[in-house]
Amino acid sequence: MRRMVLIALMLLPLAAFAREWKIDPARSALTFTGTYQDEKFEGRFKRFDAKIDYDPADLAHAKFDVTIDIASVDTANTERDQALPGKDFFDTAQFPRAHFVSTRFRKSADGQVLADGTLSLRGVSKPVTLTVKFVPSGSGATLDVDTTLKRLDFGIGSGDWADTSMIGNDVAVHGHLVLLP
Amino acid sequence: MPLRNTETRWGGIAQFFHWLIALLIIAQGAIGLTMVELGMTPAKVKVFALHKSIGLTILALGLLRLAWRLGQRAPLDPPMPHWQRNAAKLSHFLLYVLILALPLSGWLFNSAANFPLEWFGLVHVPSLTHGLDPVLKAWALRAHVVLFWLLAGLVVVHVAAALWHHFVHRDNVLLRMLPGFEKRRLARGRGVLQ
Repeated sequence: MRRMVLIALMLLPLAAFAREWKIDPARSALTFTGTYQDEKFEGRFKRFDAKIDYDPADLAHAKFDVTIDIASVDTANTERDQALPGKDFFDTAQFPRAHFVSTRFRKSADGQVLADGTLSLRGVSKPVTLTVKFVPSGSGATLDVDTTLKRLDFGIGSGDWADTSMIGNDVAVHGHLVLLP
Repeated sequence: MPLRNTETRWGGIAQFFHWLIALLIIAQGAIGLTMVELGMTPAKVKVFALHKSIGLTILALGLLRLAWRLGQRAPLDPPMPHWQRNAAKLSHFLLYVLILALPLSGWLFNSAANFPLEWFGLVHVPSLTHGLDPVLKAWALRAHVVLFWLLAGLVVVHVAAALWHHFVHRDNVLLRMLPGFEKRRLARGRGVLQ
């Protein structure tokens, strides 16, 4: 019995620091900025699930696990939003969800927190690094993550649509999560 | 040929505007009617971009042309009944209105659909709306189509009237908008005037 209590006490700090958050979906957004015909456009995924375990003081036990409903894409352009779920682009019939899971967190030389992980999108899994900005506010926090993806790495816009002079290859992805205790 | 209008003929600038805009309207109509049938490919996007660039060009040329037209006198008309003169005035007025309104309705549609707008990939043209506006988009598209068919009908009337003047009345109405022909029938046109 004493031994079990001892083990439990040793494990306690881990449990305490791997802090799990709830997401406020109404105030959270997963957005991206692409280029089409030399102009920037904004899009967002209206539905996604994020499991966030994060404590800035204990990066070793931080974990992001995000699942995105790709068909919920919205770029405020009816024609584009009809084309994007199609076979040439996201092919949501075959690949309805994208998934990011972190593998480790580290700090860069300038103190920026980075989350290495794997993004699976349209049947392709690639290593992706997010910059992480965590700001506590009251009992909650805001979490902003950023990365830039290459759409062609994931076969988004294949065939004739691979032309990057029409649709830029770089897509900046931004996640803004409002975390609740 | 003088650059400014004379009593007997349209000047070089007026003719340049007339024929360039005429050419662009015909090309634009052909492109517009074809492009809507294309499948969703990058080629379609490029043809649409071309259509938009030509439309903006027509709008700019139309404004310059209107300013030039208002800045000086038109050549004198050959004698004709009142109703003909009024019909000509009305149809010319409507042509000017449509040359401006058709590109504007396209620009409005493009804006309300939240598409990018670049003049021949060189100049960014701002949106007329704050992003996507489905109601205005549907309205502008309907206006664009109706205005196009109005213009197409009016162009047919315009061409038919010019040919009628030339071959039936044998006056100078068509010739005064053509480069050259200074001596031949213009002399007769002037003769009719006197």
